[in-house]
Amino acid sequence: MFPTINIGPFVFPTAGIVYLLGAYVALTLIERAAKRLALNVEATYGVAVVGLLVGIVAARLAFVAEYWASFSQNLIGIIWPLTSGYTVWAGLFFGVAAAFFYGRYKNLPLWPTLDALTPGLLTALIALSLADFLAGPGYGTLTSMPWGMSVFGIRRHPVQVYEIVLGVAALGVWWLVVKRGAPAGQPFLLAFALYSAGRLFLDAYRDNALLTADGYHIVQIVALALLVGCLVLLARQTTRSVEPKPTESTPV
Amino acid sequence: MLRSRFEWIIWIAVAALMGVAWIVVSKEEVKEPSILTLTEAPIVGHLAPDFTLQTPIGERITLSELRGQPVVLNFWASWCGPCRVEMPFFERAQMKYNGKTAVIGVNQGESANIVQEFGVRQAISYPLLVDDDNSVNLNYNINSLPTTIFIDPDGVVQEVIVGIVNQAVLEDRIEGMMRAE
Repeated sequence: MFPTINIGPFVFPTAGIVYLLGAYVALTLIERAAKRLALNVEATYGVAVVGLLVGIVAARLAFVAEYWASFSQNLIGIIWPLTSGYTVWAGLFFGVAAAFFYGRYKNLPLWPTLDALTPGLLTALIALSLADFLAGPGYGTLTSMPWGMSVFGIRRHPVQVYEIVLGVAALGVWWLVVKRGAPAGQPFLLAFALYSAGRLFLDAYRDNALLTADGYHIVQIVALALLVGCLVLLARQTTRSVEPKPTESTPV
Repeated sequence: MLRSRFEWIIWIAVAALMGVAWIVVSKEEVKEPSILTLTEAPIVGHLAPDFTLQTPIGERITLSELRGQPVVLNFWASWCGPCRVEMPFFERAQMKYNGKTAVIGVNQGESANIVQEFGVRQAISYPLLVDDDNSVNLNYNINSLPTTIFIDPDGVVQEVIVGIVNQAVLEDRIEGMMRAE
């Protein structure tokens, strides 16, 4: 809808601006959450920055490796931003791995750190949906509902707006759970269980979803796996905390 | 919060079953592509919808007359920033694969004058076609700019890319279609 923003004679890509703002807000929220949860703020912030930077570099290098024939004669093109191209899965994999090992190196506790990272991760997901809504290729299925949005004269589900609302709701859940002083890990697990369940439901309304060869929505499969994973971990945490402690064995 | 392990198992099983059911309900039908059918909108594996449009100076170009060589169809507009970003890549591809691949720009809804001025200002040498009534854009279901469609020498759509196509991807796809000739 708005692929670019014109400011005077300059033209800026909307998606790029949303990503930059999203990264800034996400890092700010992580810093505040770390303070609130009484974690090592600098180290927690470092986990997020390391994950972000390694993710971007890995995604770019994987893309360059995939299309090496085109870059071998044009090495400056590897860092030239206008020829941007990224392999998302490589970025996710290496970004998460780098953040994990950096956290281990800094001796950060796993669950409280994940709790502090949650608002940042959710904000990043909201920014992705917002960029897709403003300037991306995504669009929803046909609808006659009054809240449907007209895309080139055809009324469609504003599926990215649903995703943004879901992300904000998950942030609300995180905030409530933290406010109630829930045990470490529960804010992260509850927020992502809700977000995964929502994406599992909403992706059915995306008209150009990523599909498997059989026509199943890939995002739904990933979301279901995450939802079940979050629930299993929540169950383990909750039942562990209420089960009676084993009594000391008495010698017979 | 649930307390017993049994309650959790029940609820996780219910959530998983409902999730699987929803995934199955949402499954989309995957049609086997047939190159024998013309379609209204470009679908990978189908013949690209045919059209005839003019350049600003009145040269008529018909898509089906370009058969025998790969065609790169780029939908653009003068107000579209990302389109401007990728146009030098198309220009370079036009120079590199001249005579072996047809690079065509299809404007979205602007007058011949605007297209002409833009082409001169940006030093574009490949044909920029005028679609002032948007008939081809609508027929090709262009929802977002830029959109690039790769059509093989038989006139079959190989790929539709929405968003900026960079030099690497552009050359990769063109050479892939040329190899398959």
